[in-house]
Amino acid sequence: MSVTLTQEVIDVINGKETKKALATVDKDGRVNVAFKGSLHYEDGLLVVNELLETSQTNKNLTYSLWYDKEVAAVFWGPGATEYQVRGIPRKVLIEGPVYEKAYVAALERNPENDLAGVWYIEPTEFRDLTLPTRIAEQKAKYPILGHLDKDVNPDYYK
Amino acid sequence: METKIENWREKELSIEEVFEKYPEIPKIVILKTDVHRRGYILSEKAQDLFNKGDYQSQADTIFGKKEGENKIPIGLVFRDGTSLVGGYYTNYGIRDPYVIDDIDGKFFLTDNGKVYEEVEFWREPDFYRKKTSKGTPMGEVVNVRPQRLNVAISRVCHFWDKPGEGCKYCNVGINGIDSVKKGIPDLFDYDEVAEAVAEAVKQKGRYAMIMVTTGSILTGKKVFDDEVDEIIKAFEKIKPIFKTNDLKVQLIASAYDKEQLKRLKEATGIIGYTSDIEVMNKELFEWICPGKAAHIGYDEWKKRIFDAVEVFGEGNVNSGIVGGVELAQPNGFKTEEEALEKYLAEAEDFAKHGVSIAYIVWGVCGIFHNQVVPSLDYYVALAKGLNEINIKYNLKPYFDDYRRCGNHPNTDIGRIYW
Repeated sequence: MSVTLTQEVIDVINGKETKKALATVDKDGRVNVAFKGSLHYEDGLLVVNELLETSQTNKNLTYSLWYDKEVAAVFWGPGATEYQVRGIPRKVLIEGPVYEKAYVAALERNPENDLAGVWYIEPTEFRDLTLPTRIAEQKAKYPILGHLDKDVNPDYYK
Repeated sequence: METKIENWREKELSIEEVFEKYPEIPKIVILKTDVHRRGYILSEKAQDLFNKGDYQSQADTIFGKKEGENKIPIGLVFRDGTSLVGGYYTNYGIRDPYVIDDIDGKFFLTDNGKVYEEVEFWREPDFYRKKTSKGTPMGEVVNVRPQRLNVAISRVCHFWDKPGEGCKYCNVGINGIDSVKKGIPDLFDYDEVAEAVAEAVKQKGRYAMIMVTTGSILTGKKVFDDEVDEIIKAFEKIKPIFKTNDLKVQLIASAYDKEQLKRLKEATGIIGYTSDIEVMNKELFEWICPGKAAHIGYDEWKKRIFDAVEVFGEGNVNSGIVGGVELAQPNGFKTEEEALEKYLAEAEDFAKHGVSIAYIVWGVCGIFHNQVVPSLDYYVALAKGLNEINIKYNLKPYFDDYRRCGNHPNTDIGRIYW
């Protein structure tokens, strides 16, 4: 089921300074992770331009599109903000005006580039992985977890 | 088409049953194969939407069918980038075609009221309506697929010169005879071809391959010498457009001997070479492709394709077959099981020599116009088997894949394995 992302999250996903990576799996379940600077959010979908026809990401995105398998993107933004979006690839453009525009942009960045496809991923799950947020969540939900020394009352030893 | 299979849905596995039987084959590729096998038509709404779009269409009607002012589509693109080459009214009348409908302004493939996949039609390229310096519309000189330019050398296949020697599944020969009767020259004008190619590649990102093909030319000191000469002449005009010595070109042509192959490779810089065996069985080849059998023969045609691997390198040579024609009657295999077993065994022999096989779904026409194409189950099993052979022998025919060709279900699947 598709999820809607808040503007705050979208701003991080689309941020120029944000580090972006995409994790995919192949037909045998082997994981592949790659930095994907082109990842961005557009009209309810994650979009990624895959440059290489033979990349493992390109093959795995195809596999996931064919079999409705999830991929996961992570975004590391300003202030150590970290978001994860899972999703299912729904479409790849390998021709047409949108593809050609992305192709020209890829060549402008580096004339040696090519473009295998413009991939569209439907978000299915969002997670805020920013560390302080996750720590607070874990503390609230599972107070049993964590090391004792952090809970020690310093006044006890005085 | 003259042969309708009555109650065909009750006689073969449904597409849903085929999806279930072959979970390792993606549904989109199975669907594309079935649409090719059964053909498609447009609903009235979809036709209106298509007429308004900037899509490629056939200049003339096919099968003599009157379509009024309607434009006729020539190919589809699926959401995974898979193409369907042709398909409009293909095999019409044998089984029920799929119907493309307009749903909220988008095109969807439907069958029996069930909606399957959104599809797009091939777009018209920028150069199509421009004219060469001789005034010919460039779209009449060179045509295109979503990522490929198609260049032809000769309009005529001279295996058809002698009555009874044309390949029985083919209408290229019949069309060639018609064009000669109309006074259209056998050979394309290579200056015009080069002008069209040069104009086409100005559209950045539009093409990843040039496919060059020709009807067979039998004359010369040795058979096909003149054909090789003509291809070289065409490349004298095309090659200067590019700065590389090796050209992203697939040549689909006759089976040349080693001397011809080397001469061709050296003069043109072509990377990929395809010579279609068409029918992977000697006896059936002799029946179905009598001209090829008479002038070259099955064993020699095969040997020449194997020899081409030495010249072009492994992964750069393949051979095409008209999938399903092996079941043509009265002489074809009697069951799909027998056809599959014998075909996969023969495909493995090609693979052992570094040659992969690519099949197209048979669209009945020509002398075989009243035959029927096999079941979807057969076509999917064939795609699966051929893909497994490519994997086993580590063959990666990128030059004939989903992007650079788009007409082979088995190479469509290969894209996640190569």
